[in-house]
Amino acid sequence: MRIRVRYSKTGRVRYVSARDLTSVWERALRREGLPIAWSQGFRPHPKVSFPDALPVGWDSTGEYAELTFTEDLEVERDLTRLSHALPAGMGILRWLVVPDGAIKLAAMLTHTLWEIELDPTSGSRDLPARIETLLARTSAEVTRHRPSGDRILDVRPAVVALRSSDGPTPRLRAVFSNDGPTIRPSDLMVALDPDDDLSVLRYRRVAQGAGSVDGVVEALSGELLPVDTAAVAEAA
Amino acid sequence: MRPTTARTAPPVDRRAVRSADAAVAPPSQWDRLERQLEHVRKPAQYVGGEHNQVVTRWQDADVRWALCYPDAYEVGQPNQGIQILYEILNERSSTLAERAYAPWIDLEEVMRREGIEAFTLERHHPLWAFDVFAVTLPHELGHTNLLNLLDLGGIPLRSQDRTSDDPIVLVGGHAAFNPEPLAPFVDAAVAGDGEEVVLEIDDAVRAWKRSGDAERRTLLRTLAAIEGVYIPAFHEPRRTPDGRLKATVAVEPGVPSLVPKRTVQDLSQWPYPKRQIVPMTETVHERFSVEIFRGCTRGCRFCQAGMITRPVRERTPEDIRSIVREGLANTGFEEVGLLSLSSADHSGIGDIATSLADEYEGTSTSLSLPSTRVDAFNVTLSNELSRNGRRTGLTFAPEAGSERMRAVINKMVSEDDLLRTTEIAFANGWRHVKLYFMIGLPTETDDDVLAIADLGIKVLEAAQRHGRANKVTISVGGFVPKPHTPFQWAAQDSPEQIQRKLELIKSAIREHGNLRLRTNDPEEGVIEGLLARGGRELADVIETAWRNGARFDGWHEMDTLPVWLAALTEHGIDLADTMRERDRDEVFPWDHLDAGLDREWLWSDWQDAIAEKELDDCRWIPCYDCGVCPGLDLVHDTGWDGTNLPIAPSPSTELPTVAARLAS
Repeated sequence: MRIRVRYSKTGRVRYVSARDLTSVWERALRREGLPIAWSQGFRPHPKVSFPDALPVGWDSTGEYAELTFTEDLEVERDLTRLSHALPAGMGILRWLVVPDGAIKLAAMLTHTLWEIELDPTSGSRDLPARIETLLARTSAEVTRHRPSGDRILDVRPAVVALRSSDGPTPRLRAVFSNDGPTIRPSDLMVALDPDDDLSVLRYRRVAQGAGSVDGVVEALSGELLPVDTAAVAEAA
Repeated sequence: MRPTTARTAPPVDRRAVRSADAAVAPPSQWDRLERQLEHVRKPAQYVGGEHNQVVTRWQDADVRWALCYPDAYEVGQPNQGIQILYEILNERSSTLAERAYAPWIDLEEVMRREGIEAFTLERHHPLWAFDVFAVTLPHELGHTNLLNLLDLGGIPLRSQDRTSDDPIVLVGGHAAFNPEPLAPFVDAAVAGDGEEVVLEIDDAVRAWKRSGDAERRTLLRTLAAIEGVYIPAFHEPRRTPDGRLKATVAVEPGVPSLVPKRTVQDLSQWPYPKRQIVPMTETVHERFSVEIFRGCTRGCRFCQAGMITRPVRERTPEDIRSIVREGLANTGFEEVGLLSLSSADHSGIGDIATSLADEYEGTSTSLSLPSTRVDAFNVTLSNELSRNGRRTGLTFAPEAGSERMRAVINKMVSEDDLLRTTEIAFANGWRHVKLYFMIGLPTETDDDVLAIADLGIKVLEAAQRHGRANKVTISVGGFVPKPHTPFQWAAQDSPEQIQRKLELIKSAIREHGNLRLRTNDPEEGVIEGLLARGGRELADVIETAWRNGARFDGWHEMDTLPVWLAALTEHGIDLADTMRERDRDEVFPWDHLDAGLDREWLWSDWQDAIAEKELDDCRWIPCYDCGVCPGLDLVHDTGWDGTNLPIAPSPSTELPTVAARLAS
């Protein structure tokens, strides 16, 4: 039985690296005695796969994993137990039993909805203007600094939608296409804020799925998560 | 990076935070720390939140401990001592114990800049807020980290500057058997097993806090009366006019002149760990560990652990199985380590190995036996334990290359045993054998050193007979003489001598490409040896070295030796004098700490070493009066009863089958 889950990674556990996450899942599965399948080979590992890695320290309610079990689960009950066995800050939000012949999980996650929380004390009033300027361009190259050397990336093609909202904590929401080179919201901030006036409190990967100018249709639930944060605030 | 005392932390009413019925929790360092975590490497080591951590509300405890391993989390987290005491203390309803580790240098820099105080992982409470800051010293290379943690944690560096508003700084662990170099920095030291004594200390602290007595000295006096607790301030070294140590004497009325180590006689009363912490970031040992016995009487003359943890106390196979079962269910670890100083010597090891292998056969749980004796039985055991897994590497520790040298160190293994054992290992499908050796041993000649290379080459030949891809690694470290061992009188080789001997080995194996050589930096042993056998005269040296940047002295990334050498010069201490051979009657800085070993016996064993005379294990020969059992009123607690003597090295190269071995 294959199960796909959407899970959260928030709070302290968000400092756990993608590399270490496999053993966090493995040990939670073992504590609960769930019949996870094991890969063959010299160094077997549990069949828990992750479509991509979240940068260390970033918050997420849009992490995904695919788990392969050797026996059928009583899904609701067993995944609730598994969710509780995960460290604080991690929890299973949605699940879907994978039907035979389903497309690959990664292929379902064509877009990502990102949320960027800004420090209200840093100047953010001209955000709508900055966004308009960026969206009007066809290209927005930024330099990403890495220990292995700088890399120049064009942010613009990845941005499908981008909105800001005021409020006690100003926010940006963006729908990114996951095609092409990986563009991160931190790259977007460089494009929006080349002088580094804005102070980011938190990057959050909200969800992944199929994107449009309205938002992202979450892959496992089919629910539309809007890019317009005003709508989010209203709903709340 | 030099320590500074400038801090930006807001003023806090320390007394209110530390009082028994405090309604005030100390300020968490978390918010300020969190903002910095993206700037440091391996941030997960600082966040806590691991499965099985215990979080108690500050207000719900009246005695609060910070348990610390003074090294990076990845090294310190797996430590069994901290784990056991953490559980025992937290099982008390009004005691709280949290964990602290040394921040790596990148975080330290940030902490000093931002005024973040050294913290515990559970709630990021600052160290100064605890009643007891208890630090395990598994070796000497954490001493500068200890000073750094005191400084970063808002605790006055020196005991004499602390008041009743500061924690009791307590040290334990193997290096606490000579706490003298740290004497001015610690309030109390415990030599020996911690399980019982921490509870007595906890009681004493609680009673003192409730009494309203604000005198720190009152508490120290109470602690001094607990068996196994040593208060350095209540003892003073007396020196001859030329500066040699004459004696360390008690200067506080009623304090014993000789402080005995603490020993738990019955391990079955302490079936820990039960709920081992499960790390969320990589550490050096990620497994559920069970100590199958404590103590060792093999009598290796260099081995401090084997000398100071006597006598042998075994857990029963039933207890071990139930600890493993419960531990795996509570942690989800994929590996079980059967720990001890020489695990194959457990009287029931065959039963333990087979029953665990049966229980976990076909599961994804693997079993391991970290320390291996050189004999064929060990291969059998390892075969049993590896039923689920791969037969990759087996490690043996012959420790010395020549028969003569092994007689000196009392490692009773013949070359034939070793060659037969490794032959059997390769015949059984093991593909990589690692051999551990030391150089710089007493009476060592170049021939003894070259014998290491010879032995490595012979084992390699055996390896290649069973598969061209098979490998052999020889790992060679420099010997460091340690207190409370027969070699406490021995000279320590200089790094230059060690380097020269390593070169001898290197050139001897040059033509054998599949024989790998692993070595430690010869300089690391200098600091370890200096602190191992030093006295209080080194306290200022440690402080100077720390102030000038020495941290993480055991890490090869940190080249701290030049700082130490400068500190020695500054304080007029001659390094060569600290490494020399000691005289028979020389007073040692640790003489007033009693590990139970009779000094005359240690000396005679040292003389036997020089005479190349071996001494068998007292579990299967009559008592030779090392002094521990009668002196401390203890006995061996094992299943050896004279009829089931341990499996001797296999007499033939015939491969013993599991069934035959277990039937015999």
